[in-house]
Amino acid sequence: MEFQDAQQFVVRSINEITNRFQKVPGSAMLIRYIQSSYQDDPVRSAIELILVIFFIRYLLAPSYATHKGNFVKLTEEEIDDLVDEWTPEPLVAPQSAFEEAENEKLPVIVGPTGSRVKLSNGRTVTNLASYNFYNFVGNEQVKEKAIQTLRTYGVGPCGPPQFYGTQDVHMKTEADIASCLGTEGCIVYAQAFSTISSVIPAFCKRGDIIVADRAVNYAIRKGLEICRSTIRYYEHNDMEDLERVLQKVIKEQSKKPLTRRFIVTEGLFEAVGDCVDLPKLVELKLRYKFRLMLDETWSFGVMGRTGRGLTEAQNVDASQVDMLVGSLAGPLCAGGGFCAGSTDVVEHQRISAASYTFSAALPAMLATTASETLNMLQTNPDILVQCRENIKAMRAQLDPRSDWVHCTSSPENPVMLLALKPDIVNSRRLSIGEQEKVMQECVDEALINGVLITRLKSMPVANGANGKDEGWKLQPALKVCITTGLSKKEIEKAGVTIRHAITKVLTRKASSKLALPAAS
Amino acid sequence: MSEQKVGRRRRSSSLLYQEPPETIEHMSDQAALPNLNADWVNAKGESLRIENKIGFNSSFGGAWTIHLVLIAALKILFDIIPGVSQETSWTLTNISYMFGSFLMFHWVRGVPFEFNAGAYDNLNMWEQIDNGAQYTPAKKFLLSVPIVLFLLSTHYTHYDLTYFTINFLAVLGVVIPKLPYSHRTRVGLFSGAPEDR
Repeated sequence: MEFQDAQQFVVRSINEITNRFQKVPGSAMLIRYIQSSYQDDPVRSAIELILVIFFIRYLLAPSYATHKGNFVKLTEEEIDDLVDEWTPEPLVAPQSAFEEAENEKLPVIVGPTGSRVKLSNGRTVTNLASYNFYNFVGNEQVKEKAIQTLRTYGVGPCGPPQFYGTQDVHMKTEADIASCLGTEGCIVYAQAFSTISSVIPAFCKRGDIIVADRAVNYAIRKGLEICRSTIRYYEHNDMEDLERVLQKVIKEQSKKPLTRRFIVTEGLFEAVGDCVDLPKLVELKLRYKFRLMLDETWSFGVMGRTGRGLTEAQNVDASQVDMLVGSLAGPLCAGGGFCAGSTDVVEHQRISAASYTFSAALPAMLATTASETLNMLQTNPDILVQCRENIKAMRAQLDPRSDWVHCTSSPENPVMLLALKPDIVNSRRLSIGEQEKVMQECVDEALINGVLITRLKSMPVANGANGKDEGWKLQPALKVCITTGLSKKEIEKAGVTIRHAITKVLTRKASSKLALPAAS
Repeated sequence: MSEQKVGRRRRSSSLLYQEPPETIEHMSDQAALPNLNADWVNAKGESLRIENKIGFNSSFGGAWTIHLVLIAALKILFDIIPGVSQETSWTLTNISYMFGSFLMFHWVRGVPFEFNAGAYDNLNMWEQIDNGAQYTPAKKFLLSVPIVLFLLSTHYTHYDLTYFTINFLAVLGVVIPKLPYSHRTRVGLFSGAPEDR
């Protein structure tokens, strides 16, 4: 009896469950589904079942991060200890003995700058340390124009170009530069230094390839550093090496997705003073399908018959240079920089170049000054001829005549860089630091004799620039900036002074060096 | 520096390899801005929520509904083509959804509209979602869609062997790359040797 009861109970409860199950919406479908699956093929049903089990497991799994934080877990006490122990490093590193000595003797100009300046110690000296090549600093017409603009427009535009900062004078300056170079467009930046360092990241992104000269200046290095692209360097001004690097890049990239490729170099090199072979460069960039970014900071307003830069001097169409970057601050005596190129190149920068978008526009008076001085160079190329005469006169006094230094600058470059001759460096085993010291002594000696010159200041090596450019070191040099504010006679006289100063320092050095054990 | 270099080198020449870990520079670029390309999968209704940490808010938002809408639209599209049977229509719906989602989540790498300086150029969208975390709500949902769609389509194709095989291979194609095991794994055959940087 008991057994029958149990049986009945089981049957009843099964019926109950079935009834309840059938009342659940969709249950009929599920039963049909399972039945039809099973009837058809058990293997396929098994596969489905495995999939469903996996799926349920996946849904139930707890989430976890795959990014392991690259930090050490510290306890509260450890954190407190570390905070107590920490002493802040000084914001500015203490000066080295060399820097201290240099800063102590730093000449201070009192009153307006020009070709002859009054120093704070009361002496009047010849100034060959300013980028005042055409003496626009002392030009009344330029000054008058600037004052006029100042009265109309005020001091600064008080806003980035895209945010109420652009004024008609900026657009005029852009048009002036573009028509002078013969490019489709031009964009004016507010600072010369940050022009190239924001033009490069505006176009180059991670994965792109940049082939750059080893000797490019600090601003370019900064641009290369922040653009995240792959950088390849070629030997300074060696077109054969450039071709080798380009071929290597082409070969490496042949099976990879196409990326943007650029050659970045300077017109006149800031650190060496020589000039690039532009026709060859254009030929190579066309042959290997690269774009060319040319930094004409030191050559625009200097090279060529009317100062249009390297493109004019070497008879290259400026539209062949994809991004032509220049400065309005040096030879043009205004301020800011520009990038000229096709309309696409220029308009792209208006929203994607950091220093254009995020810094206040160029003050109106600097824009008009740039237009004015550019116009003066165009209409009166004699200024350039006069400057070149002065360069020649200075060079005659220094380069072949001096036993100690040679001029690495190109013959038309008004910034003359005088580096120690290699045989002297070798025979005396002068390190970079020692050469710098010698150069500083020459500067001091020249100043005592009434000529203010300066030396090439080395910039810190940009970090993160892939570390593949360690081979190149800037050679310390004297920097002599020629100006038309002085007559040929005065320039020659200054040249003699500089030459004698160098000789005096180096002969003095020689005696002190001889005291060392017979090195050579 | 040298240690990093070693870390980024390819370890063996096998067919499968792991995408090397990012450099510090790379990671800081990734962290600099929200990754809009991947964050939208967690979008809730109208307001786009930007989640950088693993503090997700499970939500059934517009970014999830769109999958169902698209599947329904595909099904209708294949249904209205004359001469297409229910079996073919379900199979076509299944494989087109699988193909589309494979392309979007697993094939295309990087970010379509550049804003992170190329910081995600080496990762596909699945690996970018939730900053690479596994078993997150979005990933669970995105895995469940193809599986449910597969179960539906095998059911409606009445377990025909050909249709089953096609549908099953399609679902495998999108489920395997979604597994935690496949995270940052590359098949050398398709993506070529990794770059040695």
